[in-house]
Amino acid sequence: MMGKVTRRNLAAHKIRLVLTAVAVILGVAFVAGTLIFTDSMNKQFDDLFSRVGKNVAVDVRAKKVVGGDDDGQAAQPVPASVLAALKGVDGVKDPQGNVNGYAAVVGRDGKIVGSGGQGPPQLGTNWNTIGSFDLKSGRAPHGPAEVIIDAETAKKGRLAIGDTVGVVSSGAAQRMRIVGLIDTGNLMGASVTAFDTPTAQKLLLKPGYYSDIEMSSSGPSETQLRDRVAKVLPDGVEAVTGTKMRDENKSDVAQIMGFFRTFLLVFALISIFVGAFIIFNTFSMLVAQRTRELALLRAIGAARPQVTRAVIGEAVAVGFVGSTLGLAAGAGLAALLQGQMGDAGSGGLTFTATPVIWSYVVGIVVTVVSAYFPARRAAKIPPVAAMRDDVALPQRTLRIRVALGSLLTLVGAGLIAAGLAGNGGNPAVPVGAGAFAVFIGVAMLAPVISVPVVKVLGWPFARLMGAPGRLARQNALRNPRRTAATAAALMIGLALITTVNVLGATMRASIDQQVDAQFGADYLVQATGGDITPDATQKIKAAPGVESASPTYEGTAKLAGDRGTYMSGDVGVIAKAARLKIVSGGTAIGADGLMVNESTAKDKGWHVGSTVPALFPDGKTEQLKVTGIFAKSDLIGGRIVSEQVYLRHTVRPSVDAVLVNAAKTDAATKTSIESALKAYPNLKVSDQSSLKKDARKQVDGFVTFLSILLAMSVIIAAVGVVNTLALSVIERTREIGLLRAIGISRRQLRRMIRIESIVIAVFGAVLGMGIGVAFGAALQNALKGQGLGVLAVPYGTLGVYLVVAAVIGVLAALWPAWRAGRMDVLKAISTE
Amino acid sequence: MTNTAPSTADAHSAPGAGDFAARAHQIAKVYGRGDAQVVALDSVTVGIPRGRFTAIMGPSGSGKSTLMHCMAGLDSVDSGQVFIGGTELTGLKDKQLTRLRRDKIGFIFQAFNLVPTLTALENITLPMDIAGRKADRAWLDQVIDTVGLRPRLKHRPSELSGGQQQRVACARALASRPEIIFADEPTGNLDSRSGAEVLAFLRDSVRRMGQTIVMVTHDPSAAAYADQVLFLTDGQIVDTMTGPTAERVLERMKGFETGGRPAAAPGAPEPGVAAR
Repeated sequence: MMGKVTRRNLAAHKIRLVLTAVAVILGVAFVAGTLIFTDSMNKQFDDLFSRVGKNVAVDVRAKKVVGGDDDGQAAQPVPASVLAALKGVDGVKDPQGNVNGYAAVVGRDGKIVGSGGQGPPQLGTNWNTIGSFDLKSGRAPHGPAEVIIDAETAKKGRLAIGDTVGVVSSGAAQRMRIVGLIDTGNLMGASVTAFDTPTAQKLLLKPGYYSDIEMSSSGPSETQLRDRVAKVLPDGVEAVTGTKMRDENKSDVAQIMGFFRTFLLVFALISIFVGAFIIFNTFSMLVAQRTRELALLRAIGAARPQVTRAVIGEAVAVGFVGSTLGLAAGAGLAALLQGQMGDAGSGGLTFTATPVIWSYVVGIVVTVVSAYFPARRAAKIPPVAAMRDDVALPQRTLRIRVALGSLLTLVGAGLIAAGLAGNGGNPAVPVGAGAFAVFIGVAMLAPVISVPVVKVLGWPFARLMGAPGRLARQNALRNPRRTAATAAALMIGLALITTVNVLGATMRASIDQQVDAQFGADYLVQATGGDITPDATQKIKAAPGVESASPTYEGTAKLAGDRGTYMSGDVGVIAKAARLKIVSGGTAIGADGLMVNESTAKDKGWHVGSTVPALFPDGKTEQLKVTGIFAKSDLIGGRIVSEQVYLRHTVRPSVDAVLVNAAKTDAATKTSIESALKAYPNLKVSDQSSLKKDARKQVDGFVTFLSILLAMSVIIAAVGVVNTLALSVIERTREIGLLRAIGISRRQLRRMIRIESIVIAVFGAVLGMGIGVAFGAALQNALKGQGLGVLAVPYGTLGVYLVVAAVIGVLAALWPAWRAGRMDVLKAISTE
Repeated sequence: MTNTAPSTADAHSAPGAGDFAARAHQIAKVYGRGDAQVVALDSVTVGIPRGRFTAIMGPSGSGKSTLMHCMAGLDSVDSGQVFIGGTELTGLKDKQLTRLRRDKIGFIFQAFNLVPTLTALENITLPMDIAGRKADRAWLDQVIDTVGLRPRLKHRPSELSGGQQQRVACARALASRPEIIFADEPTGNLDSRSGAEVLAFLRDSVRRMGQTIVMVTHDPSAAAYADQVLFLTDGQIVDTMTGPTAERVLERMKGFETGGRPAAAPGAPEPGVAAR
């Protein structure tokens, strides 16, 4: 019997259920979209990496001594003599030395084809037969003036076989003739440039060296061959099986994709969380509106569990429908995302069972859990309520809520504080859980907060808009729980957006401050890819107006067992450029000197004169002497090592940046340096303001990206406002009829609903921004030591978001207001 | 009993003239189609005299509520004309109708008469608030005192008894001094004592303040408070009674219920067809 009631109800209240389902659909779409998208990307990468080196049986490469992320420059090369030795090993077939590095094609406009600097990498390699790519047209390159490039880049740069182009790797761009095009398949936007081996060695690595040596087998298994090969290898070089190499490649990517997936899923989770509020609120309202009907069921003999089941049954149905549609929408979303990826996303979608299962699990579980409390309340309706004219559901006093809400908020704040204090473990878990608790806690407190806040927010409307304004304010105050639950959904999204914006503003302010306080050089020249070669440094020095140009290096080493990067170069120049404050010792670093910052020195108990063992990527250990200790510097980091030490342990020195001092810092000097570097399109000249600008641009990009992801939860919350208003309009049908009868116009009625909507939305925004600023301040406080020295609250941006919230209110009210205005006065009055 | 009170015939003979607060001229209203067709109003012509208390009576389904709704601009007619004062309602757009209701008409409904979020006083001044007009303070005070609500003005409807709520509704209808007040079963939800209070109050406002009131009811003792009763059956006005008493009205009503429908010409009833 109850099943029939459930079914009839679903059929009778289609609009309400559609509105509820929309919250489910959007949340599930986000989850499904994320899963499908990352699955598809994973598949593409897998395909790519199983193709890369598919014939390789054994790979010979340098051992990773220091470890960490070797970005090709930090990796030690393999001497060419190894290749000769390998040719004598039985079973080795076609050993090929690979040379990999940075090389980019310079377009006709003098700029790098594709994206210069950011985005997909520009790979340079030597062309060999065992390689992963096939020649699409033309022939292999021979000699120092021939190059082959991937077909995609050729298309982008409108280049063809026979054209002469600039190719930049290390040093000035070289003019080379394109003799062939490579079919790279889907490389996700990366560009590939290939040369013959001597040219590649010269440009990308160092003559007489290979990045690694790959070989296939003439018979023995991979492991047999690996063991045989290992016997002829010198120290510092190792042999791995092709399978291992391919797996490593894959797992690197899988790790990145895994991170990306987790990252997106966090945002999906936020959307689902917001959706849960909406579902909860909608079911609460549906139950409240059906009080008499449910009481009647009870009166004629339905047991409490039956009533609960009837409501839960509706939730299951809504969850199922919502999940199904959400899954479909998610696939659309994934396709859209892939489309946005341009070159990188042209591999089509991959469907596995995972997104399907999770969509249904998430959709149905969230709906049922959210509907559980309203369902229980429904069951508590006394049968006698059927006989009464106006019934209110038994409402517990707000006191318990306040107590519980306060407790949760405090616990959440405590968790966040503990997480940020960083007492071991991953801080994301306690901080995330804390934020979750704060949201629920504040949402529980919201009904109490809403009364005074809504009064204040509604005041100008009540003053200026006359009767509709006053009625709207009263309506928003009428059911504080409902207003609060609706606003709370909006609160979450806005709290997170505000946090991100506060952090963004804080980062910008802190970077500005750092640059002002710590950047003492006039100009900084950095490479967007590849190296800064000595000839480039010379060119800078020779540029008119330049007084000095000093290269700095960045290396990796283990100091007393702790891995980390260090800076190297002319320490005097570095100290001046970074405005280093020397705490003890001096900048005379000598041939085996080391400088560390205060905190490192304190942690390790080092002082000027201490001897520290340092392990370098070439596998050698050297005793370094501490010659100076400096105050914390965000630009330098914690370690400076003598230039001579760096050069001693580096096969191919790689200049990180050139510090430039000039007679005058004006546009003319910058232009003069830039024109001196015309042949080096991979080098970029920055001064204080452009450093700030670049950093700001990066921060802004990040803030925008996160805000867009969070906007999804705001959209869901907006649907919640629509839902609440639409159901309120249905609930207040008679009242609206009465108002219309005594002379309120449609316009005034619509205005009334619109103002109620604005007040609710702005209330949610105000709550969210309050929490967001608090979160942002807490994070800044915790990260003070990591470069977030200045807390900045972007009031202007927050003001814009407040207006956006009001606009969301207006938009959310459109449909409910239209419906209310369209109501037939007579029917409305006579509605039961 | 037959007196000089304006009768329905005047409306018929001289549309656009006479001292009527509201008039209907041959209005018809049909609901549904085909077999399900119900004639709610069958060419009714009627005039509501100014400054009088008129009751409309009839059995369920007689069309009395429809007549009231049509005359009050809440419902549209299929044919015929309706006037409030000198304004013709028929053909007005929703906007103009709303304005007319706001400025010229007062309403009292059977139930759910007040906006629950507003206090008694706010409910009373609501039509003026909507119009953006200031209430006439002296008049408002007089109305409030007449309904005896002074100590209750700050209360919300949920804190008032049914009788008090209905008195607030009456005060609201009176406060803006409308051309005419339509009351739809105003005592339907009240106990007899509260009902009597409300009816006495309505009658007093007609006598003392010269208000025009039309009340739809099916309760003969309520109708007895009116100056004139119109009887409606099957969408036609079949009789009028001036200076009604509960007994006479009841007597007349019994006639309808036993099926003894007086033979009346379709269209307007004969002038002065008073019972006996």
